Amino acid sequence: MADTKLAFIVQRPQYKSENPKLGITHAIAYQTVEILLEDGETVTPALCFIGDGVLACLKDQKAMGNYEITSSEMHLKTALLVDLDVLVCKEDLERFGITEDKIVDAEDMGAEKKIQVVPFETIQKEMESAKHVLFF
Amino acid sequence: MATLTIGVFSSLVGSMTLDFALKLAETAVNKGHKVNIWLSGNATAGIKNHQKHLKDYSTGEKHFRALLEKGVEVCTCEACTLARGINKPDAIEGVQWNAMHWYLAKIHTSDRVLHIGGE
Amino acid sequence: MKLGVFVSDFRNTVDTLDRLKAEKLGIILVQNGVYHASIKENGKSSPLLEKSANLYALSEDLETRGLTGSSVDSRVKVINYSDLVDLIFNDYEKLAWL
Repeated sequence: MADTKLAFIVQRPQYKSENPKLGITHAIAYQTVEILLEDGETVTPALCFIGDGVLACLKDQKAMGNYEITSSEMHLKTALLVDLDVLVCKEDLERFGITEDKIVDAEDMGAEKKIQVVPFETIQKEMESAKHVLFF
Repeated sequence: MATLTIGVFSSLVGSMTLDFALKLAETAVNKGHKVNIWLSGNATAGIKNHQKHLKDYSTGEKHFRALLEKGVEVCTCEACTLARGINKPDAIEGVQWNAMHWYLAKIHTSDRVLHIGGE
Repeated sequence: MKLGVFVSDFRNTVDTLDRLKAEKLGIILVQNGVYHASIKENGKSSPLLEKSANLYALSEDLETRGLTGSSVDSRVKVINYSDLVDLIFNDYEKLAWL
């Protein structure tokens, strides 16, 4: 039985490029990877937001209404629903004056899991303990 | 022999990142390593067949075909590719079509991963 | 961790490299990142070269841009694609393209 731990690090803001959003959706894909793995093998991602990437975690995004595309907020809610660990850098949120009440949650969808606001040091540890790191 | 999985998200034309990834893959496979390539986002347009190699632009088809012949597994994100109007008959034969979990599964069995998504 | 970081831009748009800590940090200059190895701005070398003792620049990307080996800062080791493959498998456990 083997588990591969991965750290997905989103460091750029969403919407200008598609790539930061793909960071979220690729992490969510851990939910179905089992169909391609041997019995007992797993992949465990941690999805981390640092730098300008933390801006993806703001509530009330209206991408669907304005451009008919899924918002990062919707994907983050899905991430919480599928029990993904989502970490956002405390220092970067503070730098932008973003308080925790402005951060996406999925309570309306019944998710107990929440985005964790953590010091950068915690995200550094996630990178150290992961087998591979993927920056978006 | 070790395994390298490369994830690429940059477009074939308009960026030279895919050129870099293909050259790295070719070098690694020529040195006896196993290589997997995952294409997502704008990189998926690179699997379109009948590319005309105009010298002002990067080209992918001949490089992908050469890599496939050498046993490199190349997979395109199906949703990303269809969103760009490219359907399976339009693609280079031998390229696999799958979802993001293909990439995670290949990463699981890889010694090294070069994920080029940070652009 | 032993981390090999690929830098492909001359003007970095993220500050992630300044924050990462690694027991062994390698900076691999590719694409427009190779300008860091060779170009002096107002007579000064790129500050990026201060960030690690393990610096590499891809010869094919230097040549593509008209940069010669003699213009490369002495701290930077010029490598080709074959060397890069060896570096990836032998020297670094994790790779980051920022």
